[in-house]
Amino acid sequence: MNKLKEAIAYFINYLKPYWKGLLVAAVFVLAGTYAQIKAPLYLGDAISALTKYVTAALTPGGHASLNDFYQALLAMVLFYLLSEIGLVLSGLVISRVSSDSVGQMRLGLFSNLQKKTIRYFDSHQDGKILSLFTSDLDNVFNAMNSAVFQIFSQGVLFLGIIWMMMEKSLTMALVTMALSPLAILVALLIVNKARKQIEQQQQATGDLNGYINEQLSGQAVLLAEGQQRASIDAFAPYNDKVRQASQKGQFYSGLLSPLMQGFSLLNLAIVIFFGSWLVLHNGMDKAAGLSLIVVFVTYSQQYFQPISQLTAIYNPLQLAITGANRIRDVEQKPNEVNDGKKVAGPLKDGVVLSHVDFAYQPERPILKDVSIDVKKGQMVALVGPTGSGKTTVMNLLNRFYDLTAGEITYDGTSLADFDLRSLRSRVGIVLQESVVFSKSIRDNIAYGKPDASQEEVEEAAKQANIHDFIMTLPQGYETMVTGADNLFSTGQKQLLSIARTILTNPDLLILDEATANVDTVTEEKIQRAMENVMKDRTSFVIAHRLKTILSADQIVVLKDGRVIEKGSHDQLIAQKGFYAELYYNQMVFD
Amino acid sequence: MGLLLTYAKPYWKKIIVAVLSVTLLAASTLAQPQFLEKMMTAIIQDQSDVILKNGVFLLALAFVGIAAGITGTYYASQVSQGVAADIRRAEYEKIQAFSLQQVQSYSSANLVVRLTNDINQVQQLVMQMLQMVLRVPMMFLGAIILAIWTLPSLWWVVLLMIALIVLSSKRIFSMMGGYFGKIQQLIDQNNTLAQENLAGVRVVKSFNQQGQEEASFADNTNELTAVNRRIGYLFNLMFPIFMLISYAAIAAALLFISTSIKEAPDQLAKITPFITYLNQILMALLMLGMISTFASRGFVSLKRIGSVMAEETARLDKEAAGQPIDKAAFLTKGLRVEKLSFTYPKAKEPVLKDLSFELAAGQTLGIVGSTGSGKSTLALLLARLYQPTAGTMTIDGEDVQNIQASDWHQAVGIVMQKPVLFSGSIEKNLRMGNPDASQEELAAAVRAAQAEDFVQAYPDGLAHEISERSANLSGGQKQRLSLARALVKKPRLLILDDATSALDARSEKRVQEVLEKDFSKTTKVIIAEKIASIIHANQILVLDEGRIVGVGSHQDLLDQSPIYQEIYASQKGKGADHE
Repeated sequence: MNKLKEAIAYFINYLKPYWKGLLVAAVFVLAGTYAQIKAPLYLGDAISALTKYVTAALTPGGHASLNDFYQALLAMVLFYLLSEIGLVLSGLVISRVSSDSVGQMRLGLFSNLQKKTIRYFDSHQDGKILSLFTSDLDNVFNAMNSAVFQIFSQGVLFLGIIWMMMEKSLTMALVTMALSPLAILVALLIVNKARKQIEQQQQATGDLNGYINEQLSGQAVLLAEGQQRASIDAFAPYNDKVRQASQKGQFYSGLLSPLMQGFSLLNLAIVIFFGSWLVLHNGMDKAAGLSLIVVFVTYSQQYFQPISQLTAIYNPLQLAITGANRIRDVEQKPNEVNDGKKVAGPLKDGVVLSHVDFAYQPERPILKDVSIDVKKGQMVALVGPTGSGKTTVMNLLNRFYDLTAGEITYDGTSLADFDLRSLRSRVGIVLQESVVFSKSIRDNIAYGKPDASQEEVEEAAKQANIHDFIMTLPQGYETMVTGADNLFSTGQKQLLSIARTILTNPDLLILDEATANVDTVTEEKIQRAMENVMKDRTSFVIAHRLKTILSADQIVVLKDGRVIEKGSHDQLIAQKGFYAELYYNQMVFD
Repeated sequence: MGLLLTYAKPYWKKIIVAVLSVTLLAASTLAQPQFLEKMMTAIIQDQSDVILKNGVFLLALAFVGIAAGITGTYYASQVSQGVAADIRRAEYEKIQAFSLQQVQSYSSANLVVRLTNDINQVQQLVMQMLQMVLRVPMMFLGAIILAIWTLPSLWWVVLLMIALIVLSSKRIFSMMGGYFGKIQQLIDQNNTLAQENLAGVRVVKSFNQQGQEEASFADNTNELTAVNRRIGYLFNLMFPIFMLISYAAIAAALLFISTSIKEAPDQLAKITPFITYLNQILMALLMLGMISTFASRGFVSLKRIGSVMAEETARLDKEAAGQPIDKAAFLTKGLRVEKLSFTYPKAKEPVLKDLSFELAAGQTLGIVGSTGSGKSTLALLLARLYQPTAGTMTIDGEDVQNIQASDWHQAVGIVMQKPVLFSGSIEKNLRMGNPDASQEELAAAVRAAQAEDFVQAYPDGLAHEISERSANLSGGQKQRLSLARALVKKPRLLILDDATSALDARSEKRVQEVLEKDFSKTTKVIIAEKIASIIHANQILVLDEGRIVGVGSHQDLLDQSPIYQEIYASQKGKGADHE
């Protein structure tokens, strides 16, 4: 129930701006529905008038006129026309509202994500977040289009028909409705049963898909180990389970439509049977009797329509509620805290980490009492085995995460006191795995400074050793960099991202050296590009190459989250400690 | 379609029951207005007994309809799931018979889709076919015939209504057609934007570009919204237009009848059934439209499955490939490769060109070369997971194609660059190539692969479960286990494709020592990025752009091969000289 409340709150939030449109739509729906349920009465009148006309025409001396018939017919056509006009108009308004509001939901979700912490992204798989866009928003849109407004219009139609039927004949109205409690009950039972069965079906299907996925991704190993037969044997039980679970799921979910059709048949049979019997045994006038039956035959068909429609939208509605909940969940996750007011100026003195403690999860500390002092213009190499906390230091300098204890200062001011944007505009990063966007080369390089001139972009590219390559491309700087395209090698993407950082001219630089295998020539280029970007800047480098480490002003050795050694290469070698051992044993600096 | 028929055949009895039930449901729906006409006539003629009799018929008919609906759905779901499961199994068996090249030419992700999503579509198609494809055309034609039969003079009203509905829906669909392509494109763009934003979240934040990101996302989303709106408008026009056409048909029918009712008063009872038939025609038309979009998707999937099933299983050995080999006598002399070339399907350039070399039994061959030089391809060819495009491989003087691929795989161990383990216990993984290995043999392999420390750290040891995608193992642990798996097999030929890259230098060294000491009789092919890993090999091949550009010992190559010198020099900084 709480889920439903959250979902309703979500929908209300995004539909509120459209209340005028919704009101207009509601008026059109009411008017259209009124005309729609009124029209069959005129059809009945027309039949009745026609019957009277025939009777009069057959009675010698009777005065036969079709005037009543024409009038009823005209009224019927008019009301049908009105009802469809009402439906069209309300439909137009509603499609506008639903497209626009879902568009707003899409934008809202995206802009909400922009405010989330790095912690959020690190602890949620990209694929899962992406499915909010691809699957959940889609479900919401489908439901908006079909379900949400249908509940209203079908509900109005349902009540309207009941009202009209009661007006016309209370007995017949009760007869028409007699079956519906049973039909609704059966429908709900089936929908409920189907949902449970489909859950099991999805579980079984998920297991099967997982198995297939794993086996086929490892097909090379299966072939090398001669495991094909064994793989098929293990596949069989998964397949059989899906077959069994799906047969039930399919049966129950497929049952609704034929069963509702069957109920509608039965209802019509009852209406015809009882109506005819009533007309004959109550000594009703024939013209009125025929008209009564025609009217109720039409009503009983119309009356059943909302019942089957409403049960049919149960499932999409469930999906939409789940989707709305997931999206709302994201919106309620904490945003990045940005309450610092100070504006970071150009770096004058240096950056100091003093007694920094940090943990991603409280029970597992990553950094313990880390202190590093970097003067302006210095280069610090962070080295240490995997898991020693090197990357974490980088996360803290850019305030991707906030410290657990201790302090990091930039020219003496704590990082937390700066406005986030102003701090990050002073700090540049080059990631180990370079990120490029599906934009032109120019836009990729100018990513951090969209208004950069062509000269600035080219200058950055030159410094990053990529300009010459770009000039060999037919479209030069306007070439699109797309993810799937093999136009750019890993090394070239690396160079592009270095150029991007150079263009923003950061004061403090954080570099995570790439370990990816690139060919010797590109590696040489990257090395020179790195040197260019570090020149005259203060930098932290997570170093993997010996060459980089050797040129550092200060080497900080991390192990298990602690700084165990600090100093220049020569000093550390002389210490004969961990670093010296690393160096002599050629342990991989990963 | 042929595929579907083949797999539907075993279910023919259930299919008949399903089709009959559905037909019965349609027939009872169609018959109802006929009874209605009789009842109306009875009212006019005051026949109480006729009403009673037909009333009971009507009720019975409705119950038959309900029962038929339930039965039909039951059998339809039995058949559709049965057919789907059978096809899935056959397709899976087919894929298991594929060569690695075939798997890769589709890509395993693509095959997964064909086994899951496509089968699902086909299952839906079968279900829909059994439930609707027969019923709807029957309803459609039945209602047309009965409508005309009820009031023959109004045949033109029926046909005119159908023509108008078909024409107007065609018009609306053609207006929508352009938007559908557009919307798919916009949605793809939208997803790409979101995906890149997520993947580059650190870049976005550190460059302060949230605003720019939102702006370009908004541009795309607004365009998407505009197209959604237009499609919505058109969709909303469709149904009311159809309804208006059918109302117009009803009005026309009434008007026309009024002109001749004096001459034929029995038409009075026929008006209502006629109207009911008109409604049924309209409903059937709507459903026809729905089915055709649905079925077209199913047929696309069916075609994709069909192309997998039609694939010829590539044989890696000659048909006559003879007797099972004696593993102990395998590779006692040596392996000889002559003028071996390999070209990937659809590629223009071969990745390996005219390779010739020899490897004596018990020796170690090192292979080095830059990325893209063809090293891994050569490993797969030696493991006979790929079939050479040209050239021959002989073992102990015998053409390898005379040896069954499965026998070859028994005797040859390969550890691939990307270690792959399967969910399940460590033991189950290790035993893959040698189900009969003893506990001691498993322990020895684990020790040799330097995996003993972390395996023993698990309280349940070898019974420890590896989770899906080996998420609970580090890169180094995965490599150690996949090496152990190859060693459990006691291979006569061991191929290591950069198999220790994620190990620290010390463990790597120990692995090398164990391989030299305990597997001294095993012939080895070691592919390495680091020269240090193959420095002691009897023979080293230097590959460059698919060709052998140097052969010899480490010292020979240092003296002669410029490329080897270059590779060596680039690694010197990393300390290769110390090892």
